[in-house]
Amino acid sequence: MIRAAARALLLLLLLAGVARAQPAPASTPQLAADISTDRVEITTGFTGSSVMVFGATERLIGAEGGEDVVVVAWGPPQPTVVRRKVNVLGFWLNGPSTVFRQVPGFYAIAATRPVWQILPEETRRTARLGLDSLPLTASGSQAPAFRAALLELKQQDGRWQEYAHPVTIAGGRLFSARVSFPDTVQTGDYRIEVLLVRDERIVARQALFLRVDRVGTAASIASVARTEPLVYGAVCILLAAIAGWFGSIVFRRN
Amino acid sequence: MQVYLPIAEMSVDALLLLGIGFGVGWLSGLFGVGGGFLLTPLLILIGIPAPVAVASGANQTIGASVSGLIAQWRRGNVDARMGTVLLVGGFIGSGAGVQLFALLRRAGQVDLAVAIFYVVILGTVGMLMVRESVRSILRRRRTGVAAAKAHEHTWLHGLPFKMRFRKSRLYISVIPPLLVGFGIGILSAIMGVGGGFMLVPAMIYLLGMPTSVVIGTSLFQVVFVAANVTFLQAVQVGTVDIVLTLLLLAGGVVGAQFGASMGTKLRGEETRALLGMLVLSVALGLLYDLVRTPDSLFSIGATP
Repeated sequence: MIRAAARALLLLLLLAGVARAQPAPASTPQLAADISTDRVEITTGFTGSSVMVFGATERLIGAEGGEDVVVVAWGPPQPTVVRRKVNVLGFWLNGPSTVFRQVPGFYAIAATRPVWQILPEETRRTARLGLDSLPLTASGSQAPAFRAALLELKQQDGRWQEYAHPVTIAGGRLFSARVSFPDTVQTGDYRIEVLLVRDERIVARQALFLRVDRVGTAASIASVARTEPLVYGAVCILLAAIAGWFGSIVFRRN
Repeated sequence: MQVYLPIAEMSVDALLLLGIGFGVGWLSGLFGVGGGFLLTPLLILIGIPAPVAVASGANQTIGASVSGLIAQWRRGNVDARMGTVLLVGGFIGSGAGVQLFALLRRAGQVDLAVAIFYVVILGTVGMLMVRESVRSILRRRRTGVAAAKAHEHTWLHGLPFKMRFRKSRLYISVIPPLLVGFGIGILSAIMGVGGGFMLVPAMIYLLGMPTSVVIGTSLFQVVFVAANVTFLQAVQVGTVDIVLTLLLLAGGVVGAQFGASMGTKLRGEETRALLGMLVLSVALGLLYDLVRTPDSLFSIGATP
Protein backbone atom coordinates (compact mmCIF):
# COMPACT_ATOMS: atom_id res chain seq x y z
CA MET A 1 0.00 0.00 0.00
CA ILE A 2 2.53 2.56 1.23
CA ARG A 3 4.94 1.40 -1.40
CA ALA A 4 2.41 1.74 -4.22
CA ALA A 5 1.26 5.15 -3.03
CA ALA A 6 4.80 6.44 -2.69
CA ARG A 7 5.69 5.21 -6.13
CA ALA A 8 2.65 6.86 -7.68
CA LEU A 9 3.47 10.12 -5.91
CA LEU A 10 7.05 10.06 -7.05
CA LEU A 11 6.05 9.26 -10.58
CA LEU A 12 3.68 12.23 -10.57
CA LEU A 13 6.39 14.54 -9.24
CA LEU A 14 8.80 13.27 -11.80
CA LEU A 15 6.37 13.73 -14.66
CA ALA A 16 5.63 17.24 -13.41
CA GLY A 17 9.36 17.96 -13.43
CA VAL A 18 9.75 16.68 -16.97
CA ALA A 19 6.72 18.67 -18.10
CA ARG A 20 8.22 21.91 -16.75
CA ALA A 21 10.64 21.84 -19.66
CA GLN A 22 13.94 21.04 -17.94
CA PRO A 23 14.72 23.54 -15.14
CA ALA A 24 18.34 24.56 -14.47
CA PRO A 25 20.43 21.43 -13.77
CA ALA A 26 22.02 22.90 -10.64
CA SER A 27 18.72 23.20 -8.79
CA THR A 28 17.59 19.63 -9.51
CA PRO A 29 18.81 17.13 -6.97
CA GLN A 30 20.51 14.19 -8.60
CA LEU A 31 18.98 11.87 -6.06
CA ALA A 32 15.87 11.97 -3.88
CA ALA A 33 15.04 9.09 -1.57
CA ASP A 34 12.80 8.22 1.36
CA ILE A 35 11.71 5.23 3.45
CA SER A 36 8.25 3.79 3.91
CA THR A 37 8.44 4.24 7.68
CA ASP A 38 10.91 5.80 10.09
CA ARG A 39 9.91 3.50 12.93
CA VAL A 40 9.94 -0.28 13.25
CA GLU A 41 7.88 -1.42 16.19
CA ILE A 42 8.57 -4.64 18.05
CA THR A 43 5.23 -5.76 19.41
CA THR A 44 4.34 -8.96 21.26
CA GLY A 45 3.55 -10.57 17.90
CA PHE A 46 6.75 -9.37 16.19
CA THR A 47 8.27 -11.86 13.76
CA GLY A 48 10.57 -9.55 11.85
CA SER A 49 9.74 -6.62 9.62
CA SER A 50 10.87 -4.82 6.53
CA VAL A 51 10.99 -1.26 5.29
CA MET A 52 10.94 -0.02 1.72
CA VAL A 53 13.57 2.43 0.56
CA PHE A 54 12.55 4.25 -2.60
CA GLY A 55 13.46 7.29 -4.61
CA ALA A 56 14.17 8.83 -7.94
CA THR A 57 17.26 9.95 -9.80
CA GLU A 58 17.74 12.74 -12.31
CA ARG A 59 19.44 10.58 -14.88
CA LEU A 60 18.58 7.10 -16.03
CA ILE A 61 19.59 4.19 -13.82
CA GLY A 62 20.92 0.99 -15.28
CA ALA A 63 23.82 -0.38 -17.22
CA GLU A 64 23.16 1.76 -20.35
CA GLY A 65 22.81 5.04 -18.45
CA GLY A 66 25.89 4.29 -16.43
CA GLU A 67 24.37 5.20 -13.06
CA ASP A 68 23.92 2.77 -10.20
CA VAL A 69 22.04 2.97 -6.92
CA VAL A 70 23.42 1.46 -3.70
CA VAL A 71 21.35 1.15 -0.52
CA VAL A 72 23.18 0.41 2.77
CA ALA A 73 21.53 -0.04 6.15
CA TRP A 74 23.42 0.10 9.45
CA GLY A 75 22.37 -0.90 12.92
CA PRO A 76 23.90 0.32 16.17
CA PRO A 77 27.29 -1.22 17.02
CA GLN A 78 27.07 -4.54 18.82
CA PRO A 79 30.26 -5.94 20.34
CA THR A 80 30.28 -9.60 19.37
CA VAL A 81 32.29 -12.48 20.72
CA VAL A 82 33.22 -15.38 18.45
CA ARG A 83 34.07 -18.66 20.15
CA ARG A 84 35.71 -21.71 18.71
CA LYS A 85 34.83 -25.14 19.97
CA VAL A 86 37.66 -27.47 20.86
CA ASN A 87 37.61 -31.16 21.61
CA VAL A 88 38.81 -32.01 25.09
CA LEU A 89 38.77 -35.71 26.03
CA GLY A 90 36.03 -36.35 23.51
CA PHE A 91 33.82 -33.46 24.65
CA TRP A 92 33.22 -30.35 22.58
CA LEU A 93 33.55 -27.17 24.59
CA ASN A 94 34.08 -23.49 23.95
CA GLY A 95 37.79 -22.84 23.59
CA PRO A 96 39.57 -19.71 22.37
CA SER A 97 37.45 -16.67 21.70
CA THR A 98 37.91 -13.24 20.24
CA VAL A 99 35.88 -10.05 20.62
CA PHE A 100 34.91 -7.74 17.77
CA ARG A 101 34.10 -4.44 19.46
CA GLN A 102 33.14 -2.18 16.59
CA VAL A 103 30.86 -4.27 14.42
CA PRO A 104 27.33 -3.23 13.47
CA GLY A 105 24.56 -5.34 14.94
CA PHE A 106 22.79 -5.07 11.62
CA TYR A 107 24.17 -4.47 8.14
CA ALA A 108 22.45 -4.83 4.79
CA ILE A 109 23.53 -3.77 1.37
CA ALA A 110 21.54 -3.80 -1.85
CA ALA A 111 22.56 -2.40 -5.22
CA THR A 112 21.64 -2.42 -8.88
CA ARG A 113 25.00 -4.11 -9.48
CA PRO A 114 27.38 -5.59 -6.89
CA VAL A 115 29.56 -2.77 -5.51
CA TRP A 116 32.81 -4.49 -6.44
CA GLN A 117 31.80 -4.07 -10.07
CA ILE A 118 31.09 -0.35 -9.87
CA LEU A 119 33.45 1.14 -7.26
CA PRO A 120 37.20 0.87 -6.68
CA GLU A 121 38.36 -0.87 -3.54
CA GLU A 122 39.49 2.30 -1.78
CA THR A 123 36.08 3.96 -2.09
CA ARG A 124 34.35 0.80 -0.93
CA ARG A 125 36.62 0.66 2.07
CA THR A 126 36.12 4.29 3.17
CA ALA A 127 32.36 4.16 2.60
CA ARG A 128 32.25 0.64 4.09
CA LEU A 129 30.34 -0.86 1.22
CA GLY A 130 30.06 -4.62 1.23
CA LEU A 131 30.75 -7.06 4.03
CA ASP A 132 34.38 -7.49 2.92
CA SER A 133 34.90 -3.74 3.44
CA LEU A 134 33.76 -3.70 7.06
CA PRO A 135 36.66 -3.00 9.41
CA LEU A 136 36.45 -6.13 11.56
CA THR A 137 39.11 -5.42 14.13
CA ALA A 138 39.46 -8.16 16.68
CA SER A 139 40.83 -7.94 20.18
CA GLY A 140 42.27 -11.28 21.09
CA SER A 141 43.13 -13.94 18.58
CA GLN A 142 43.75 -12.46 15.13
CA ALA A 143 43.24 -15.73 13.30
CA PRO A 144 41.35 -15.14 10.03
CA ALA A 145 39.08 -18.09 10.81
CA PHE A 146 37.32 -16.00 13.47
CA ARG A 147 36.54 -13.22 10.97
CA ALA A 148 35.29 -15.75 8.46
CA ALA A 149 33.09 -17.36 11.11
CA LEU A 150 31.70 -13.98 12.17
CA LEU A 151 30.79 -13.15 8.57
CA GLU A 152 29.23 -16.53 7.98
CA LEU A 153 27.21 -16.77 11.20
CA LYS A 154 25.96 -13.18 11.04
CA GLN A 155 24.74 -13.79 7.51
CA GLN A 156 23.16 -17.08 8.54
CA ASP A 157 20.92 -15.48 11.14
CA GLY A 158 19.96 -12.65 8.80
CA ARG A 159 21.56 -9.82 10.73
CA TRP A 160 24.11 -9.15 8.01
CA GLN A 161 22.84 -9.27 4.45
CA GLU A 162 24.60 -8.82 1.15
CA TYR A 163 22.29 -8.39 -1.85
CA ALA A 164 19.54 -10.33 -0.14
CA HIS A 165 16.97 -8.16 -1.92
CA PRO A 166 17.33 -6.54 -5.34
CA VAL A 167 17.08 -2.84 -6.12
CA THR A 168 14.23 -2.73 -8.60
CA ILE A 169 13.95 0.02 -11.17
CA ALA A 170 10.78 1.36 -12.71
CA GLY A 171 10.58 3.83 -15.57
CA GLY A 172 14.36 4.15 -15.69
CA ARG A 173 14.48 6.64 -12.80
CA LEU A 174 12.44 5.25 -9.94
CA PHE A 175 14.10 2.75 -7.70
CA SER A 176 13.05 0.80 -4.66
CA ALA A 177 14.70 -1.70 -2.35
CA ARG A 178 13.52 -3.68 0.62
CA VAL A 179 15.49 -3.85 3.88
CA SER A 180 14.29 -6.70 6.04
CA PHE A 181 14.96 -7.11 9.75
CA PRO A 182 14.91 -10.53 11.42
CA ASP A 183 13.00 -11.10 14.70
CA THR A 184 16.30 -10.93 16.59
CA VAL A 185 16.84 -7.30 15.50
CA GLN A 186 18.30 -4.97 18.14
CA THR A 187 16.52 -1.85 19.22
CA GLY A 188 18.14 1.50 18.52
CA ASP A 189 18.85 4.01 15.78
CA TYR A 190 19.46 2.73 12.28
CA ARG A 191 20.92 4.65 9.38
CA ILE A 192 20.11 3.94 5.77
CA GLU A 193 22.32 5.49 3.11
CA VAL A 194 21.35 5.76 -0.52
CA LEU A 195 24.29 6.34 -2.86
CA LEU A 196 24.34 7.25 -6.49
CA VAL A 197 27.36 5.92 -8.39
CA ARG A 198 28.61 7.10 -11.77
CA ASP A 199 31.99 6.41 -13.43
CA GLU A 200 33.38 4.62 -10.37
CA ARG A 201 32.59 7.60 -8.13
CA ILE A 202 29.92 8.34 -5.57
CA VAL A 203 28.22 11.39 -7.04
CA ALA A 204 25.35 11.84 -4.57
CA ARG A 205 24.32 10.42 -1.26
CA GLN A 206 21.39 10.75 1.06
CA ALA A 207 21.08 9.48 4.63
CA LEU A 208 17.79 8.35 6.07
CA PHE A 209 17.10 7.47 9.67
CA LEU A 210 15.04 4.78 11.25
CA ARG A 211 14.32 3.78 14.80
CA VAL A 212 13.66 0.25 16.01
CA ASP A 213 11.71 0.22 19.26
CA ARG A 214 9.85 -2.18 21.43
CA VAL A 215 6.27 -1.04 21.97
CA GLY A 216 3.33 -2.18 24.06
CA THR A 217 3.65 -5.08 26.47
CA ALA A 218 7.01 -6.27 25.14
CA ALA A 219 8.44 -2.79 25.71
CA SER A 220 7.13 -2.43 29.25
CA ILE A 221 8.29 -5.90 30.28
CA ALA A 222 11.79 -5.35 28.92
CA SER A 223 12.11 -1.89 30.45
CA VAL A 224 10.82 -2.94 33.89
CA ALA A 225 13.18 -5.93 33.83
CA ARG A 226 16.10 -3.63 33.13
CA THR A 227 15.31 -0.63 35.30
CA GLU A 228 13.53 -2.31 38.23
CA PRO A 229 14.96 -5.83 38.45
CA LEU A 230 13.88 -6.20 42.09
CA VAL A 231 10.26 -5.40 41.28
CA TYR A 232 10.39 -7.50 38.11
CA GLY A 233 11.77 -10.52 39.97
CA ALA A 234 9.10 -10.27 42.65
CA VAL A 235 6.32 -9.88 40.08
CA CYS A 236 7.58 -12.92 38.13
CA ILE A 237 7.44 -15.03 41.30
CA LEU A 238 3.93 -13.84 42.17
CA LEU A 239 2.57 -14.26 38.64
CA ALA A 240 3.95 -17.79 38.34
CA ALA A 241 2.53 -18.76 41.75
CA ILE A 242 -0.88 -17.28 40.96
CA ALA A 243 -0.96 -18.86 37.50
CA GLY A 244 -0.10 -22.28 38.92
CA TRP A 245 -2.61 -22.05 41.75
CA PHE A 246 -5.39 -20.63 39.57
CA GLY A 247 -4.77 -23.18 36.82
CA SER A 248 -4.98 -26.12 39.19
CA ILE A 249 -8.37 -24.91 40.44
CA VAL A 250 -9.80 -24.33 36.98
CA PHE A 251 -8.55 -27.55 35.42
CA ARG A 252 -9.00 -29.87 38.39
CA ARG A 253 -10.16 -33.29 37.23
CA ASN A 254 -11.65 -35.25 40.10
CA MET B 1 1.03 -18.18 16.17
CA GLN B 2 4.31 -16.41 16.82
CA VAL B 3 4.91 -14.55 20.03
CA TYR B 4 7.83 -12.24 20.80
CA LEU B 5 9.72 -13.03 24.00
CA PRO B 6 10.87 -9.65 25.36
CA ILE B 7 13.83 -10.91 27.41
CA ALA B 8 15.03 -13.66 25.10
CA GLU B 9 14.62 -11.08 22.26
CA MET B 10 13.30 -13.57 19.76
CA SER B 11 9.97 -14.85 18.55
CA VAL B 12 8.77 -18.40 19.09
CA ASP B 13 5.65 -20.32 18.19
CA ALA B 14 3.25 -19.90 21.12
CA LEU B 15 1.57 -23.24 20.35
CA LEU B 16 4.93 -25.00 20.53
CA LEU B 17 5.53 -23.53 24.01
CA LEU B 18 2.01 -24.46 25.13
CA GLY B 19 2.60 -27.98 23.81
CA ILE B 20 5.93 -28.33 25.59
CA GLY B 21 4.30 -27.01 28.76
CA PHE B 22 1.46 -29.51 28.42
CA GLY B 23 3.78 -32.47 27.77
CA VAL B 24 6.12 -31.67 30.63
CA GLY B 25 3.15 -30.90 32.91
CA TRP B 26 1.55 -34.22 32.00
CA LEU B 27 4.72 -36.13 32.87
CA SER B 28 5.19 -34.17 36.06
CA GLY B 29 1.63 -34.88 37.14
CA LEU B 30 2.12 -38.54 36.30
CA PHE B 31 5.34 -38.91 38.24
CA GLY B 32 4.82 -36.28 40.91
CA VAL B 33 7.92 -34.27 40.07
CA GLY B 34 8.29 -30.68 38.91
CA GLY B 35 9.51 -31.57 35.44
CA GLY B 36 12.11 -28.81 35.30
CA PHE B 37 14.78 -31.33 34.34
CA LEU B 38 12.88 -32.00 31.10
CA LEU B 39 11.81 -28.44 30.47
CA THR B 40 15.17 -26.65 30.48
CA PRO B 41 16.83 -29.02 27.94
CA LEU B 42 13.74 -28.84 25.71
CA LEU B 43 13.82 -25.03 25.74
CA ILE B 44 17.52 -25.04 24.86
CA LEU B 45 16.74 -27.52 22.08
CA ILE B 46 14.20 -25.17 20.43
CA GLY B 47 16.75 -22.34 20.43
CA ILE B 48 16.08 -20.42 23.65
CA PRO B 49 19.44 -19.16 24.98
CA ALA B 50 20.61 -21.31 27.91
CA PRO B 51 20.62 -18.47 30.50
CA VAL B 52 16.99 -17.56 29.65
CA ALA B 53 15.94 -21.23 29.62
CA VAL B 54 17.47 -21.84 33.06
CA ALA B 55 16.07 -18.68 34.70
CA SER B 56 12.59 -19.04 33.19
CA GLY B 57 12.62 -22.75 34.00
CA ALA B 58 13.11 -21.90 37.67
CA ASN B 59 10.30 -19.36 37.41
CA GLN B 60 8.00 -21.96 35.83
CA THR B 61 8.82 -24.44 38.61
CA ILE B 62 7.16 -22.15 41.16
CA GLY B 63 3.89 -22.24 39.27
CA ALA B 64 4.12 -25.98 38.61
CA SER B 65 4.73 -26.81 42.30
CA VAL B 66 2.62 -24.27 44.19
CA SER B 67 -0.74 -26.01 43.79
CA GLY B 68 0.80 -29.31 44.90
CA LEU B 69 2.25 -27.60 47.95
CA ILE B 70 -1.12 -26.11 48.91
CA ALA B 71 -2.79 -29.52 48.59
CA GLN B 72 -0.10 -31.26 50.65
CA TRP B 73 -0.15 -28.51 53.29
CA ARG B 74 -3.91 -28.93 53.75
CA ARG B 75 -3.45 -32.66 54.28
CA GLY B 76 -0.78 -31.92 56.88
CA ASN B 77 1.97 -33.64 54.89
CA VAL B 78 4.51 -30.82 55.18
CA ASP B 79 7.17 -30.96 57.89
CA ALA B 80 7.62 -27.20 58.12
CA ARG B 81 10.51 -27.52 60.55
CA MET B 82 12.48 -29.84 58.31
CA GLY B 83 11.44 -27.73 55.32
CA THR B 84 12.83 -24.60 56.96
CA VAL B 85 16.16 -26.25 57.75
CA LEU B 86 16.39 -27.51 54.16
CA LEU B 87 15.42 -24.06 52.97
CA VAL B 88 18.20 -22.31 54.89
CA GLY B 89 20.68 -24.58 53.11
CA GLY B 90 18.77 -24.08 49.87
CA PHE B 91 18.94 -20.29 50.05
CA ILE B 92 22.69 -20.30 50.67
CA GLY B 93 23.17 -22.88 47.93
CA SER B 94 21.05 -21.08 45.34
CA GLY B 95 22.77 -17.78 46.15
CA ALA B 96 26.16 -19.41 45.55
CA GLY B 97 24.79 -21.15 42.45
CA VAL B 98 23.62 -17.90 40.84
CA GLN B 99 27.05 -16.35 41.48
CA LEU B 100 28.67 -19.38 39.87
CA PHE B 101 26.23 -19.09 36.98
CA ALA B 102 27.12 -15.43 36.38
CA LEU B 103 30.81 -16.35 36.51
CA LEU B 104 30.34 -19.14 33.97
CA ARG B 105 28.40 -16.80 31.73
CA ARG B 106 31.27 -14.33 31.68
CA ALA B 107 33.68 -17.16 30.86
CA GLY B 108 31.42 -18.29 28.00
CA GLN B 109 30.95 -21.75 29.45
CA VAL B 110 27.30 -21.66 30.54
CA ASP B 111 26.09 -24.07 27.87
CA LEU B 112 28.80 -26.57 28.69
CA ALA B 113 28.28 -26.30 32.45
CA VAL B 114 24.52 -26.71 32.14
CA ALA B 115 24.97 -29.73 29.87
CA ILE B 116 27.57 -31.40 32.10
CA PHE B 117 25.49 -30.85 35.22
CA TYR B 118 22.51 -32.40 33.46
CA VAL B 119 24.43 -35.40 32.18
CA VAL B 120 26.11 -36.18 35.51
CA ILE B 121 23.14 -35.55 37.79
CA LEU B 122 20.44 -37.03 35.58
CA GLY B 123 22.64 -39.98 34.66
CA THR B 124 23.36 -40.81 38.29
CA VAL B 125 19.82 -40.26 39.55
CA GLY B 126 18.30 -42.12 36.60
CA MET B 127 20.56 -45.10 37.09
CA LEU B 128 19.88 -45.27 40.83
CA MET B 129 16.13 -45.01 40.28
CA VAL B 130 16.03 -47.74 37.65
CA ARG B 131 18.22 -50.04 39.75
CA GLU B 132 16.22 -49.47 42.92
CA SER B 133 12.83 -49.91 41.29
CA VAL B 134 13.84 -53.00 39.33
CA ARG B 135 15.14 -54.53 42.55
CA SER B 136 11.96 -53.86 44.45
CA ILE B 137 9.84 -55.13 41.56
CA LEU B 138 11.90 -58.36 41.59
CA ARG B 139 11.66 -58.57 45.36
CA ARG B 140 7.89 -58.16 45.24
CA ARG B 141 7.63 -60.89 42.59
CA ARG B 142 9.64 -63.22 44.80
CA THR B 143 8.06 -62.59 48.18
CA GLY B 144 4.70 -61.21 47.16
CA VAL B 145 5.02 -58.00 49.20
CA ALA B 146 7.28 -54.99 48.95
CA ALA B 147 9.72 -55.22 51.83
CA ALA B 148 9.77 -52.25 54.15
CA LYS B 149 13.17 -50.72 54.73
CA ALA B 150 14.33 -51.04 58.30
CA HIS B 151 15.34 -47.89 60.12
CA GLU B 152 19.11 -48.01 60.13
CA HIS B 153 21.56 -46.11 62.27
CA THR B 154 24.52 -44.72 60.35
CA TRP B 155 27.39 -42.34 61.09
CA LEU B 156 25.01 -39.51 60.14
CA HIS B 157 23.30 -39.99 63.48
CA GLY B 158 26.52 -39.23 65.37
CA LEU B 159 26.73 -35.60 64.20
CA PRO B 160 26.17 -32.68 66.60
CA PHE B 161 23.42 -29.95 66.60
CA LYS B 162 20.61 -32.43 66.93
CA MET B 163 17.07 -31.25 66.44
CA ARG B 164 13.70 -32.93 66.86
CA PHE B 165 11.52 -33.10 63.73
CA ARG B 166 8.18 -34.25 65.07
CA LYS B 167 6.29 -34.70 61.80
CA SER B 168 9.15 -36.73 60.32
CA ARG B 169 9.54 -38.65 63.63
CA LEU B 170 13.27 -37.93 63.54
CA TYR B 171 15.85 -36.73 66.03
CA ILE B 172 18.89 -35.94 63.90
CA SER B 173 21.64 -33.40 63.43
CA VAL B 174 20.74 -30.34 61.30
CA ILE B 175 23.97 -30.74 59.30
CA PRO B 176 22.76 -33.40 56.81
CA PRO B 177 19.53 -31.54 55.87
CA LEU B 178 21.47 -28.28 55.60
CA LEU B 179 23.98 -29.91 53.24
CA VAL B 180 21.22 -31.57 51.21
CA GLY B 181 19.43 -28.22 50.89
CA PHE B 182 22.67 -26.48 49.94
CA GLY B 183 23.48 -29.00 47.21
CA ILE B 184 19.98 -28.90 45.74
CA GLY B 185 20.11 -25.08 45.84
CA ILE B 186 23.26 -24.98 43.72
CA LEU B 187 21.82 -27.43 41.20
CA SER B 188 18.58 -25.50 41.13
CA ALA B 189 20.38 -22.29 40.17
CA ILE B 190 22.51 -23.86 37.45
CA MET B 191 20.03 -26.30 35.99
CA GLY B 192 16.85 -24.25 36.38
CA VAL B 193 15.09 -27.12 38.11
CA GLY B 194 13.25 -27.39 41.40
CA GLY B 195 15.29 -30.44 42.28
CA GLY B 196 12.41 -32.59 43.50
CA PHE B 197 13.71 -35.62 41.64
CA MET B 198 16.94 -35.44 43.68
CA LEU B 199 15.43 -34.16 46.91
CA VAL B 200 12.90 -36.95 47.29
CA PRO B 201 15.46 -39.80 47.20
CA ALA B 202 17.83 -37.77 49.40
CA MET B 203 15.12 -37.32 52.02
CA ILE B 204 14.16 -40.98 52.00
CA TYR B 205 17.60 -42.59 51.85
CA LEU B 206 19.90 -40.00 53.45
CA LEU B 207 17.66 -38.43 56.07
CA GLY B 208 15.38 -41.40 56.61
CA MET B 209 12.16 -39.39 56.48
CA PRO B 210 8.83 -41.25 56.24
CA THR B 211 7.43 -41.21 52.68
CA SER B 212 4.16 -39.61 53.81
CA VAL B 213 5.80 -36.24 54.47
CA VAL B 214 8.50 -36.45 51.79
CA ILE B 215 6.50 -35.11 48.82
CA GLY B 216 4.95 -32.21 50.73
CA THR B 217 8.20 -31.17 52.38
CA SER B 218 10.14 -31.38 49.12
CA LEU B 219 7.50 -29.21 47.43
CA PHE B 220 7.89 -26.71 50.26
CA GLN B 221 11.63 -26.51 49.64
CA VAL B 222 11.25 -26.51 45.84
CA VAL B 223 8.77 -23.62 45.72
CA PHE B 224 10.85 -21.34 47.92
CA VAL B 225 14.23 -22.21 46.40
CA ALA B 226 12.82 -21.73 42.89
CA ALA B 227 11.45 -18.35 44.02
CA ASN B 228 14.87 -17.42 45.35
CA VAL B 229 16.59 -18.51 42.13
CA THR B 230 14.07 -16.58 40.02
CA PHE B 231 14.62 -13.47 42.07
CA LEU B 232 18.43 -13.68 42.02
CA GLN B 233 18.53 -14.49 38.30
CA ALA B 234 16.22 -11.55 37.56
CA VAL B 235 18.40 -9.18 39.58
CA GLN B 236 21.89 -10.45 38.77
CA VAL B 237 21.70 -11.94 35.31
CA GLY B 238 18.43 -10.41 34.02
CA THR B 239 17.30 -13.46 32.10
CA VAL B 240 13.85 -14.32 33.49
CA ASP B 241 11.33 -14.14 30.64
CA ILE B 242 7.86 -13.86 32.15
CA VAL B 243 6.09 -14.29 28.79
CA LEU B 244 7.91 -17.59 28.29
CA THR B 245 7.12 -18.67 31.86
CA LEU B 246 3.41 -17.92 31.61
CA LEU B 247 3.01 -19.70 28.27
CA LEU B 248 4.72 -22.80 29.66
CA LEU B 249 2.57 -22.66 32.79
CA ALA B 250 -0.63 -22.28 30.78
CA GLY B 251 0.09 -25.60 29.07
CA GLY B 252 1.65 -27.11 32.17
CA VAL B 253 -1.20 -26.75 34.67
CA VAL B 254 -3.63 -28.45 32.26
CA GLY B 255 -1.18 -31.24 31.49
CA ALA B 256 -0.42 -31.82 35.16
CA GLN B 257 -4.07 -32.51 35.98
CA PHE B 258 -4.33 -35.11 33.21
CA GLY B 259 -1.06 -36.67 34.27
CA ALA B 260 -2.04 -36.82 37.93
CA SER B 261 -5.34 -38.57 37.24
CA MET B 262 -3.48 -41.15 35.16
CA GLY B 263 -0.70 -41.51 37.73
CA THR B 264 -3.08 -42.90 40.34
CA LYS B 265 -3.57 -45.97 38.14
CA LEU B 266 0.12 -46.87 38.12
CA ARG B 267 1.99 -48.81 40.80
CA GLY B 268 4.78 -47.04 42.70
CA GLU B 269 7.67 -49.23 41.52
CA GLU B 270 6.61 -49.20 37.88
CA THR B 271 6.22 -45.41 37.99
CA ARG B 272 9.69 -45.03 39.45
CA ALA B 273 11.20 -47.35 36.85
CA LEU B 274 9.56 -45.38 34.04
CA LEU B 275 10.67 -42.07 35.52
CA GLY B 276 14.18 -43.42 35.96
CA MET B 277 14.32 -44.47 32.31
CA LEU B 278 13.02 -41.08 31.21
CA VAL B 279 15.66 -39.31 33.29
CA LEU B 280 18.35 -41.60 31.88
CA SER B 281 17.31 -41.00 28.28
CA VAL B 282 17.44 -37.21 28.75
CA ALA B 283 20.96 -37.61 30.18
CA LEU B 284 22.04 -39.80 27.25
CA GLY B 285 20.60 -37.34 24.72
CA LEU B 286 22.53 -34.47 26.29
CA LEU B 287 25.69 -36.58 26.48
CA TYR B 288 25.40 -37.33 22.78
CA ASP B 289 25.14 -33.59 22.09
CA LEU B 290 28.39 -33.02 23.97
CA VAL B 291 30.43 -35.64 22.14
CA ARG B 292 29.14 -35.46 18.57
CA THR B 293 31.08 -33.24 16.17
CA PRO B 294 29.24 -29.91 16.03
CA ASP B 295 27.87 -28.61 12.71
CA SER B 296 29.81 -25.42 13.09
CA LEU B 297 32.98 -25.16 15.12
CA PHE B 298 32.27 -21.50 15.81
CA SER B 299 29.53 -19.70 17.66
CA ILE B 300 28.79 -16.02 18.11
CA GLY B 301 27.16 -14.17 20.95
CA ALA B 302 26.79 -10.78 22.53
CA THR B 303 29.72 -9.85 24.76
CA PRO B 304 28.76 -10.54 28.37
